[in-house]
Amino acid sequence: MIEQYVPQLSTYAGDIDFVFDLIFYITTGWFILTQGVFFWLMWRFRRQEGVKALYLTGEEKFPKNIVSNAHHAVLVFDVAILVFAVMTWHNVKITLPPAEQTIRVVAQQWAWTFIHPGPDGEIDTADDIAMNDELHVLVDTMYHFKLESRDVLHNFSVPVFRLKQDVIPGRVITGWFKATGTGEHDIQCAEICGIGHGLMPARIFIETHAEHMAWMNRHLPSGVAANDASSTVLAQE
Amino acid sequence: MGLSGGAFAEGDLERGEKLYGLCSQCHGVEGEGVPLSLAPSIAGLPAWYVESQLKKFYGGIRGRHPDDIGGMRMRPMTLYFNRPDTRDADFAAVSAYVASLEPKYPEPLLSGGDPEKGQASYSLCIACHGADGLGNEALQAPPIVQISDWYALTQLKNYKNGIRGRDPRDSAGATMWPMAMTLEDEQAMKDVIAYIETLRGSN
Repeated sequence: MIEQYVPQLSTYAGDIDFVFDLIFYITTGWFILTQGVFFWLMWRFRRQEGVKALYLTGEEKFPKNIVSNAHHAVLVFDVAILVFAVMTWHNVKITLPPAEQTIRVVAQQWAWTFIHPGPDGEIDTADDIAMNDELHVLVDTMYHFKLESRDVLHNFSVPVFRLKQDVIPGRVITGWFKATGTGEHDIQCAEICGIGHGLMPARIFIETHAEHMAWMNRHLPSGVAANDASSTVLAQE
Repeated sequence: MGLSGGAFAEGDLERGEKLYGLCSQCHGVEGEGVPLSLAPSIAGLPAWYVESQLKKFYGGIRGRHPDDIGGMRMRPMTLYFNRPDTRDADFAAVSAYVASLEPKYPEPLLSGGDPEKGQASYSLCIACHGADGLGNEALQAPPIVQISDWYALTQLKNYKNGIRGRDPRDSAGATMWPMAMTLEDEQAMKDVIAYIETLRGSN
């Protein structure tokens, strides 16, 4: 349902949308059912000449069971939501598949800095490519991201990945994603971080190997030979 | 006051004052600057300079280098001006308002600068910023006599390290880069900043 508005472009986007859909359909079903029962009762037991109101004490089994069975059903649905939610949470937030590439994401009031690995495929080396408000990643590649904040709380949110992760000053938070489709999409801050919070959008460019190589060759730090870029990253293909 | 330059219409100032409400969050109600917010004193800067910098921030010419912490904080603020039909007029209005503010001379926060040594380095700055530090619009050189010292140091370092003024569209910034290269270390920068502060009395 959500994918009709925001594409699913990570391996776990579908799982997260499934949980949303599950909650939506269960709550919508119950909402319609309960409202229907309410309105039916209002109509069925409307004021009628010569009929006195009946006071139910809840001691008789039949009316009591109607209420308690509905409550039990709610519990079953709650457990179903919890099971799928915890499974998805575990997959996205608890497991950490081995990385093919690692990026560093630095949030500040009110901008993002993305440190990409250069041709050597490693961050924190001389050929890193640092960019403001632009993240370039390879499609179908397992990425680890390391989140840092220079000042206050932020939240690294990539809607097409269904990814949201708080960025907490003083900590380096590691997470992962694997993009399943290419294109240019939004990154946003999803934690109120000051007056410019609404103005710190960035863009993610999910690229094929050829596109990524072309981008890398354009932005290599001076001193790194342009043709180096094809060595390690392409070798992963 | 000698710092303010350029004519502005009354309507611009009213609009500018309203728009300045956003700027005041960091730069202070009177444009006095707030070091904790990385916001320098801007009160009384000439409208042409404020406007040119706003447009540079907006266009991503300034404030997009990943090491320009203060600049990356300023750039999003210019993105508030997101209506193409009013953007230029709004930039002009808020610049006129900033220019109309009484210039502030922030208390020095740096220590260890030697104005006598700095005077020698300043001889190079005179060509554009003037012997009195009041700047020269024709050369795109803003007044620096009222500059916050911590901000001056940051900007000199930014120019020297290619964090500011290296965008191909930033011709005025490109002039500052080789100038900053002549200051060999932080001490030399502090010296020249200390000298600039001595110019305040002469204005």
